[in-house]
Amino acid sequence: MSKTKTEVPRGTLDLLVLQTLATMGRLHGYALARRIEQVAGDALHLSQGSVYPALIRLQQEGWIATDWGISETNRKVKFYSLTRAGRKQLAVEVETWEKSTALVARFLEVSS
Amino acid sequence: MTIGRLIARLAAILSKKRLDRELENEIAAHLELAQRDAAADGFSAEQARLAARRRFGGIEQMKEEHRDSRGVAWMDNLLRDFRYGLGSLRRTPGFTAIVVAILGLGIGANVAMFSLVDAVLLKPLPFPNPDRIVRVWEAPRPGVTNATSTLDFLDWKRMGKAFESIAAEIPLSAALTGNGDPVRLPGKAVTADYFRVFGVGAFMGRTFAPLEDQAGAGMVVVLSHAAWQTHFGGDAGILNRSAAFDGQPYQIIGVLPPGPFDRDTAQFWKPLVLGPERRSRGFHWLSVHGRLTAGVTLTQAREQMRTIQSAVRDVTPFWKRDWTIVVEPLDRLLVGDSMKRSAVVAFGAVLLVLLIACANVANLLLARGAARRKEMAIRTALGASRGRLAVQLLTEGVVLCLFGGAAGLALASLLIQAAAPVLSQSIPHTASLVIDFRVFAFAASIALGVGLLVSVLPSLQSSTADVERSLRETARGSSRAHHNLRGAIVVAEVTLSLVLVCGALLLFKSLFKLQQLETGIRMDNVITMSLSLPLPAYPTPEKAAAFYESLSGRMATVPGILQSGLSSHLPLRWIGNGEAIAVPGIPEPVKVRFKRVDPGYFGTLGIPLLAGRGIDERDRIGARRVMVINEALAGRLADVAGLNNPVGHVVRLNWPRYVATSAPEEEVEIAGIIRSERVSGPGSPDPAVVYVPLAQVPNQEIKLIVRAQSEPASIVAGIRDSLRQIDPNLPLGDVETIQQIRDRTLSGSSRPAWLIGVFASIAALLTAVGLYGVISHEVSQQRREIGIRMALGARPGDVVSQVLKKAMVLVAAGLGLGSLGALALTRVMKTLLFEVSPFDPFVLAAACAAMMLVGLLAGSAPASRAARIDPVQTLRDEG
Repeated sequence: MSKTKTEVPRGTLDLLVLQTLATMGRLHGYALARRIEQVAGDALHLSQGSVYPALIRLQQEGWIATDWGISETNRKVKFYSLTRAGRKQLAVEVETWEKSTALVARFLEVSS
Repeated sequence: MTIGRLIARLAAILSKKRLDRELENEIAAHLELAQRDAAADGFSAEQARLAARRRFGGIEQMKEEHRDSRGVAWMDNLLRDFRYGLGSLRRTPGFTAIVVAILGLGIGANVAMFSLVDAVLLKPLPFPNPDRIVRVWEAPRPGVTNATSTLDFLDWKRMGKAFESIAAEIPLSAALTGNGDPVRLPGKAVTADYFRVFGVGAFMGRTFAPLEDQAGAGMVVVLSHAAWQTHFGGDAGILNRSAAFDGQPYQIIGVLPPGPFDRDTAQFWKPLVLGPERRSRGFHWLSVHGRLTAGVTLTQAREQMRTIQSAVRDVTPFWKRDWTIVVEPLDRLLVGDSMKRSAVVAFGAVLLVLLIACANVANLLLARGAARRKEMAIRTALGASRGRLAVQLLTEGVVLCLFGGAAGLALASLLIQAAAPVLSQSIPHTASLVIDFRVFAFAASIALGVGLLVSVLPSLQSSTADVERSLRETARGSSRAHHNLRGAIVVAEVTLSLVLVCGALLLFKSLFKLQQLETGIRMDNVITMSLSLPLPAYPTPEKAAAFYESLSGRMATVPGILQSGLSSHLPLRWIGNGEAIAVPGIPEPVKVRFKRVDPGYFGTLGIPLLAGRGIDERDRIGARRVMVINEALAGRLADVAGLNNPVGHVVRLNWPRYVATSAPEEEVEIAGIIRSERVSGPGSPDPAVVYVPLAQVPNQEIKLIVRAQSEPASIVAGIRDSLRQIDPNLPLGDVETIQQIRDRTLSGSSRPAWLIGVFASIAALLTAVGLYGVISHEVSQQRREIGIRMALGARPGDVVSQVLKKAMVLVAAGLGLGSLGALALTRVMKTLLFEVSPFDPFVLAAACAAMMLVGLLAGSAPASRAARIDPVQTLRDEG
């Protein structure tokens, strides 16, 4: 695969969303998508809309909570924030992620 | 997926509209913000809008993904199919109505039958810890139920540690006076622990206190809830009232809760005092119920009764030392084997009806599937997967069946309402016929099961249809394989119907034999009534005898009465009293049934005298004790004692005293022999019976038997008037014609016949409908072929016979299979049949003939339609 600009791997988006909410606090959907884009820079190709299915999924799991607020364009929008359960889940996912990347890295070292 | 998420997803399906709206808003707000940012970067308004859109990605795609991740896809689809199914059923109301009616019939009959079986066989008794309630009795031989003597009962009560409580009861009846006309209420005298055995407390007031059955205790009664409602108008102040039973004032101390005791015969309970005059070991008159102590098994209880028995062996009369004490669970005793078997056979029959109904509906759905092949083919072409189509058809079938189930539930509740009064006599009082949650759950699961069963075939068939061919064939008609399948279903229907018709015919033949059963008595215009002499008004045997005499004298003057008689037991009913006679020189006593009759009894019922004399006016108290024996006893005496001419012989017989306390042996002369009258249902031989003069052995409970000149119901008022002139406080109870009594005695055998007859008729009808459907479909498919044949010179008669032949081929195939099925299945009915073999060839032939007739009728309409086909017309239509 020569493409360097990747699609978001499945499941990773959840981690990105949780991590972003953990660092930024309460955000609405657009701000969240923008923030992820900014942090990722050119490394990631993200359709902004794809954060919404992830958001509803995380909300149903009870990891993020929503409330209503006013956007910069004076529209009533949903704001998302991390719940206590979400914070725990983030820790779990980060740990899993670190373990698996470490594992893959070791393999790459050995075989190179 | 966590549980919380699953719940959230299910909730999401229900709040679909709100979530969709919120998502729309969120997308709009997002695009707005993105557009603003883009405009800030220097894009024109239009460019900014496009950029926002581009960076957002596919909106519809995202929405779909959103829905998928928040909801449960299959459930979403199911709901959609459900709605679609409802719509497509609404478009074909005729079809829907027919299917719902057929299913309603099948499911309704099953649900009604289930509620009966559930109430009688499956549900535990409606008492707390019902498995601990037992009946206890002393059995002379295994398999015999018997009453218990006072002293034995008192021993059990004293020493029976296996029982938490144990109580004895005897039936009685009393005249309730003071509320208008006197009424005769059936009741029970019970020892104080009676209600504790059943674990039933009072609804109002209290039940009996532990020592309330001792001599000198107050005159108190407990009323059933129904009696309180009926005879005391549900008076809330009932506990402060007293009521006159047999002219004696009784304090009403309690009312039982509504429920099983309302369906029992007894309407009031008073304490049974086992005074010293009643303490014997030889007189068996008590029914005993006990509640086992928690943790005590039946085996342990039986073991303990054996211990008690050996402990009192020395004081037990020698003739009952080898008797056994039986402890049986109450629930097993309440439902007899014959009732169980009847219920199983009837349930089997009704299941067959349901199967036939299913076959019919499957057939209809197949036909409808054929008509919708084009619709399905188009949907397949548009990209619907076959699985989705199959599931959609399944859902439609299930929707139909749920409607059928609802109709069935309604029908069942009607059936139960209609049947409850008829059945109340033959099912135990502990069973209540209601549509409760269990019945509802049964109805729902049977409807779902039927739904899946009937729609699997059609949905597979329709969804696997070849798209291209279906579109090409259009409405031309269905394939050969499809037709064969429908034919096979009809064959199955004929098979099942034949089994049912056979069963019904066997039962009817048996019923016919029962009608022919010799009763030994004259039945025309005979009516019976019962009377009970209250002890306070008739304290001595002389008073009772005087009453009988004046009653008989009075009856002779009532216009319309030809003859009248009195007896202790109804004719054609089992004689509960048993005694033994000792013949000089014979060691074994001869067991006999003991019936008291007055001089008019034999004449009124036309029972012929075979030797000696009958009972007459000379046989009074103080006169020589005599008895008349029946033919069966004369035969027994000839066998065991060589008494070929017993008239004039003197034997020893237990001779009960007026108020049943003891029955010392007395010398009695055999005065005559009469021909045996029937006292029990079919299948048992006439027992040996002695008839003793009622005047010599007076009884409180008596039956008045009257032969009228014409319709006997018209003379009841006259009889009531005459009785009032003798004793205004004496109510007349249980007015019944002899025909009704006869039906009651034989009813155990006749009821299944009618029930299964009805089921068989429904089955035959449904089969006819199924056959009609298939044949008429075939005729309409072959219009062209028939038209050509007629154009080539076939006569209408040929066409008719060709169509009928097809119907007959299907019926004949079903009859072949059905005969085998009938031979196998009717065997289970063997015990329900009276003098009819389950392999009766006449019945099988008649059932086959009936099904042939059904086939001819079902085929005749399509056949005559075929014969009227105009060749020119059909060729023009399709050419």
